[in-house]
Amino acid sequence: MNVSPTEAEEALAAIQTMMTKTRRAISSSGAYVFFIIWGFVWLLGFLGSQFLPQDIGGYAWMGLDTLGGILSAIVGVRMNRGVRSPSSNISGKRIGIFWILLFMYCIATIAVVWPASGKQLSMLIILFVIVGWMAMGLLLSFASIRWGLALTALALIGYFLLPGIFYLWMAVLGGGGMIVLGLYIRSRW
Amino acid sequence: MADLNETIHQPVRLRIMAALVTLGASEEVDFSYLRDLLDVTDGNLGAHLRKLEEAGYIAVNKVFVERKPRTFISATAGGRKVFQEHVAALELILKSK
Repeated sequence: MNVSPTEAEEALAAIQTMMTKTRRAISSSGAYVFFIIWGFVWLLGFLGSQFLPQDIGGYAWMGLDTLGGILSAIVGVRMNRGVRSPSSNISGKRIGIFWILLFMYCIATIAVVWPASGKQLSMLIILFVIVGWMAMGLLLSFASIRWGLALTALALIGYFLLPGIFYLWMAVLGGGGMIVLGLYIRSRW
Repeated sequence: MADLNETIHQPVRLRIMAALVTLGASEEVDFSYLRDLLDVTDGNLGAHLRKLEEAGYIAVNKVFVERKPRTFISATAGGRKVFQEHVAALELILKSK
């Protein structure tokens, strides 16, 4: 069979395009959507905490968390639609159990230490959530733990050094950072 | 020198194999999902899958999921090897340009 260099080039380009499209559509790279969803939740939630009265900010967080949870569940179900492997069901269950346990341990920790301020409560939840993301990064390989460590460092800097603008700091760097990271992962894959 | 594979080189079959080898070795993809991914019709995809299955490059697994018939497709080890050889042959043609 004879193939010209031009045809070979076109065929290789078609292969590359298809592989990229498949990775984006099927593989775990779809996880970038979670970063974008939760980036917007953090961005809007922390902006609310910074600029709205405390009780309204609290309700805004509840609404945003609920919306984020529903969107994540929809994306999670759609992400694995069409692809299956012997290990995928087991992994999915384990990941689900992990997040439930992490949530329960976070609630237990809050109940034990009973944070004195909204900032302390926010910081505690942020630390638990980042631990969860880093664990997912290690298990699913969609992001390195260095992003989680960087976000932790930023959160701690804001908490200890910039208490007056902590919520604004977390909205822009935490929420905005997650959105940028999500878009970066999408473009890299 | 690796040979070009006539069965795989057909454009739709080339894209099918590219999609399937991107999956993990133990993963398989649903027929309708693959159809949407490739943007082809049911009949067109079915015909090309038959050719690849006859050549032993893919495995077709028909099962019932929640009492509905589903067809899952995966690349065989042989199919992956032949595809890699085909890609290597294409790259060689480009290099010798």
